[in-house]
Amino acid sequence: MLSPERLALPDYEYLAQQHVLTYMEDAVCQLLENKEDISQYGIARFFTEYFNSVCQGTHILFREFSFVQATPHNRASFLRAFWRCFRTVGKNGDLLTMKEYHCLLQLLCPDFPLELTRKAARIVLLDDAMDCLMSFSDFLLAFQVQFYYSEFLESVAAIYQDLLSGKNPNTVVVPTSSSGQHRQRPTSGEASMLEGVEASLFCQCLENLCDRHKYSCPPPALVKEVLSKAQRLTFYGFLVALSKHQGTNQALGALPDKGDLMHDPAMDEELERLLVQVPGLANSVTASPETSCLPSRTPPRGASPWRPHHHPHKVDAESDGSTEETDESET
Amino acid sequence: MAALEKRRPAVAPGAGFSDGGRPTASRAAAGAESEEDFLRQVGVTEMLRAALLKVLEARPEEPIAFLARYFENLGLRSPASGGAGDPPGQLLLQQQRLSRALWHLRLAHHSQRAAFNNNVSVAYECLSAGGRKKKPGLDGRTYSELLRRICREGEAPDAAVAPLLRKLQCRDHEAVPLGVFRAGMRTCFVLLEFVARAGALYRLLEDPALAAADRRVGQAVLDTLEGALQTGDGDEAAPARYLEAGSRLGPDNVALAMDRAVVARRPCVPMHREEFLEKAAALFIAKVKPVG
Repeated sequence: MLSPERLALPDYEYLAQQHVLTYMEDAVCQLLENKEDISQYGIARFFTEYFNSVCQGTHILFREFSFVQATPHNRASFLRAFWRCFRTVGKNGDLLTMKEYHCLLQLLCPDFPLELTRKAARIVLLDDAMDCLMSFSDFLLAFQVQFYYSEFLESVAAIYQDLLSGKNPNTVVVPTSSSGQHRQRPTSGEASMLEGVEASLFCQCLENLCDRHKYSCPPPALVKEVLSKAQRLTFYGFLVALSKHQGTNQALGALPDKGDLMHDPAMDEELERLLVQVPGLANSVTASPETSCLPSRTPPRGASPWRPHHHPHKVDAESDGSTEETDESET
Repeated sequence: MAALEKRRPAVAPGAGFSDGGRPTASRAAAGAESEEDFLRQVGVTEMLRAALLKVLEARPEEPIAFLARYFENLGLRSPASGGAGDPPGQLLLQQQRLSRALWHLRLAHHSQRAAFNNNVSVAYECLSAGGRKKKPGLDGRTYSELLRRICREGEAPDAAVAPLLRKLQCRDHEAVPLGVFRAGMRTCFVLLEFVARAGALYRLLEDPALAAADRRVGQAVLDTLEGALQTGDGDEAAPARYLEAGSRLGPDNVALAMDRAVVARRPCVPMHREEFLEKAAALFIAKVKPVG
C-alpha cells in the first residue's frame, strides 16, 4: 500500500528519484513557448494537459533528443511510440537497413543521433556489413537495449576492454558517457587465441557495476543468467544475448512480448477505419499509411495513388543519409 | 523550493532564444529576467511553488499523475471556468465545498501524520468559510455528510460503517470544532483501511466455489483479532502491549486457532463477506470513543 523508503528520503532525493523537477522545468519551458495558449485556456489547464501527456507517454513525440532521453520514463515512452507508429513495417515483413530505421526514428525525434542507431544495428548485424537488411522486431529489441541502457552499456564496454587487455577489473574506473572510443574491437594482433573474455570474471565485474550504477541497468539476476550460459563471450555476444532475452523486455516494460510485437487488434481496427475514409484507397486496406513515408525498395503494394505526391517531399524533409533510395524512387 | 528557483534561469534562456543564433549575454540576461517576470506576473511561479509543496508533503508514489490531478482540480476551482454564468445555488455550492474538502483530505495517507493533519486543517477551512447566506463555521450536518461521503466512496459495506457514523456524528446544528473534525476524519480513514484489510483477510479464507467461508474458521480468526485488540486496553498504551497484540496475531497463533476450530467439527452455516466485514468492523468500532 505504501512504500516507506519513499517517505524516508530527503526532499531533494525524492524529487530527483521521481524526476519531478525535470518535468516541472520542461512544463515551464513549454509554457513559455506557448504563451498564447495559456491566455486562452488558463495556466492550470495547460499544466493539467502537460502532466497528463507525461503520464500517457505522448509527451516525447517530436521533442528534441536531449529531452527524449532525459528520464527512464521518457525512454520507455519513446520506445513504445516507435513501436506503435511503425509496427506495420514489421507486420508487412519489410526488411530495412540501418539508415532507413534511422529515418523512422527521426520522424519521431528530428535530432536523433545516428551513432545510437548504428550501435543498435551492430547488435543485430555483428560483423556483417552495416548496410544489411534487418527485420523490424530484431532491430527493435536490439534498439531498446541500446537506447534504454545506453550509459550502462558504455560502462560495460569499458570493463570489457579492460578485461581484454588484462587489467585488474577491481581498479576499473567507470567512464562518463562522453567517452566513446572503447567500442573499438581489439586488433587481431593483441587479441588472444580465444575470443572474448571469461564469463565468470565478466559477470563479477558487472555485478559490481550494477550495484553502484546510478543510471538504469538490467536486473542483476538477468545479467548473471545471460553470462552463466557461456564459458567465454565477447562484448557483442553479451549484448545479443541480453537483447534477445525475454526477461529484458519484461523488465523494461515498454513493449509487449516478442510474440505479440505485431499484434495489436485495437490499433489494427483503428487503422482500417481510417484507411476506409481515405478516398480511392478502399480496395487496398492492407497497405499501411506509415510505410508511405519510407524510402522503400519494394514496389508499392496495391493501388496507392497518393504515393507519388507524398514520397519525394517526405524523403527530402526527413532523411539525409539515404540518397540512393531517393534517387531510385524519383526516377 | 530553492532548487526550482535556482534552476529556472538556467533553463529559460534556451527556450527563449532557440531561433536567434547566439544572443549576447546582456540580451540573454534581459530575456531571462523578463521571462521570470512574466512567470511571476501570470502566477505560474506561485502556482508551481504551491504544487511542489503539496508533492513534498504528500510524497505520492506517482508524483506526475498526482500533479495532473492537482492541476485539474485547480482548474475546476478557478473562476475562469464556469464562473461566468448564474451564481450557483446554495446546494451546488455546498456540494463543491464538500468535494474540495474531500480532495484535500485524500492528498496524503493518514499515516503521514503531519501532512494529513495539515490537509485536514485546510479541508476544515474550506468547509467553514463564510458565504453570502452562510455564517462562518462548520455545522454538524455538513460534517456528517462529509463522513457519509468518505465511507460511501471507500467501498466499505454500509452495514459495517453505519455504527461508526452513529458514534462520530454530531447534531445537525451543533458547531464542530477542529479537534472533533480531525479525530472524526482520521478515525473514518483508519476504519476504511481496516475494513479493506479485513476484506483481504476474508479473501484468503473464502472458498471461491461457494463464495463463502467456513464459519468456524472465520469466527476463529475474528476471535483471535478480538483477543489481540483487547490487549491494547489499559491505562496507558505501552509499546509492550503493541508487541503482545502483534504476537497474538502471529501466523502460528492464528493457524492454531483455525486448526482448533476445524477440529471442533460443529455443524454450521457458511459465513459471507458482508457478515465477516461487519463483525471485524464492529471490533474496531467498539474501541472508538463516541463524540461528546
